[in-house]
Amino acid sequence: MIFLRRQMPLLITLITGLVFAGQYYVPHPASEQMLTSVTKWLQIIGGFALILGVSSLFHVHAVKIRRKEAGWGYSLVLYASMVATIVVGLWANGKEAVDGTMTAFGWMYNYMMVPLQGTMFAILAFFIASAAYRSFRARSREAAVLLVAAIIVMMGRVPLGEYLIPLSGDVSQWILNVLNASVRRAILIGVSLGTVALSFKIIFGVERSYLGGGKE
Amino acid sequence: MTFSERMLKIDRRIIFLVIGLCTLLPLLYPVGLPIKISPEVRAVYDHIESLPEGAVFLLSLDFDPASKPELQPQSIALLRHAFRKHLRVIGMTLWVSGTGLADQIMTQVAKEARKESGNDYVFLGWSPGGTAVIINMGQDLYGAFPADYNGKPTKGQPVLSGVTNLRDVTYAVSLGAGNPGVEAWYVFGKDKYKFELGGGCTGVMAPGLYPLLRSGQINGLIGGLRGAAEYESLIGQKGKAVAGMDAQSATHLAIIVLVVMCNLFYLSLRKTARQQGQMGA
Repeated sequence: MIFLRRQMPLLITLITGLVFAGQYYVPHPASEQMLTSVTKWLQIIGGFALILGVSSLFHVHAVKIRRKEAGWGYSLVLYASMVATIVVGLWANGKEAVDGTMTAFGWMYNYMMVPLQGTMFAILAFFIASAAYRSFRARSREAAVLLVAAIIVMMGRVPLGEYLIPLSGDVSQWILNVLNASVRRAILIGVSLGTVALSFKIIFGVERSYLGGGKE
Repeated sequence: MTFSERMLKIDRRIIFLVIGLCTLLPLLYPVGLPIKISPEVRAVYDHIESLPEGAVFLLSLDFDPASKPELQPQSIALLRHAFRKHLRVIGMTLWVSGTGLADQIMTQVAKEARKESGNDYVFLGWSPGGTAVIINMGQDLYGAFPADYNGKPTKGQPVLSGVTNLRDVTYAVSLGAGNPGVEAWYVFGKDKYKFELGGGCTGVMAPGLYPLLRSGQINGLIGGLRGAAEYESLIGQKGKAVAGMDAQSATHLAIIVLVVMCNLFYLSLRKTARQQGQMGA
């Protein structure tokens, strides 16, 4: 049992990790065919992962409702909404419109999900303004530099800013293209090197946390 | 409590009101300030403009309704341009929650341009797998999407004639609101399957994509509502993005004024505290 639970996943990870890292550099038809097959597996696994995610969500919230834990009312709303969406979605065969007529599923999407998500995002503008007023202060030299850069970029990204200070557009473009791009690139290179190192650790079985911490 | 202290502790509902008015008033009474075209948006426009009739254009609408205000105008402007150039358009999404929205956008613009599904464009919809879908399409497009969003088999559709995988795509643009989005299309798509790639994203994401732009990994970038407004201006069909630019101008200015004010009050308080400290010593 220990072999199936520990060694086997490590062996699969080692072989697939090495094979598919190497596959990228081998343009032979057989190698390409292997990649085609495996990407199909990935899609199938992706579909199952979705089912697993939904069932796990159902389970977590069902437990919360049953035990009447703090915030169980929200779980009830989530549970009811998910069940209603799945039932309506299956009933409409996953279609939002049939022959130009909106289905119940389409109605839920257009008149519930779209406005709800839009509202959540729109509220951000108000909170950002309030947070900026309360916390965006020049407490140090570094904070002052950040503040000036932010004001220039905000001015340069809107027509009114460019109209009031014509140079702000070009300066903002320079900040984004030169300062921002170089710093972002440095971060990206660092993150990428970290990802490569982590991948090697996973492939060679040094990092095993993905296996879970169950009993051996 | 001094005036500065009182101002720093201002009721946040007043700030909400200011932002609300700055958004609402310009929408009701538009000013229509001129919009300067940035080189990164022009690059996407110029590339589409340079494509011959019948070239394959893939538009991946990788966003959900939360990013609709910024990315829907970008999608509409790009599709209008592609249809005007008589390109063969392949639409799809990597975000399941954006499928309905993407379908609506494609159908609306195609109807407006009198384009027919199957002949002039196809909407593939969504397929599970996230970034794996890109690799799958790169290997075999019909394997990734055996049928389009309406359930019609993709094989045999005139719009896809001669297209077997991503290598046959002339130009692809990903309009992404997160991951998977523009970066995923570069890493898993363009890098291996060698098609030209452009990007579009929300305003907050744009600074993060500049390294890809500067290194030529994407040939152009449409950033936020401003980018959409620039594209609308370029194609000469002003829409929601241009209309929204006045509101965004006013809101940006309001936030700048608020930040400057708060810093003035903060510095005045700090100066007073320092003076009091010196007097105490």
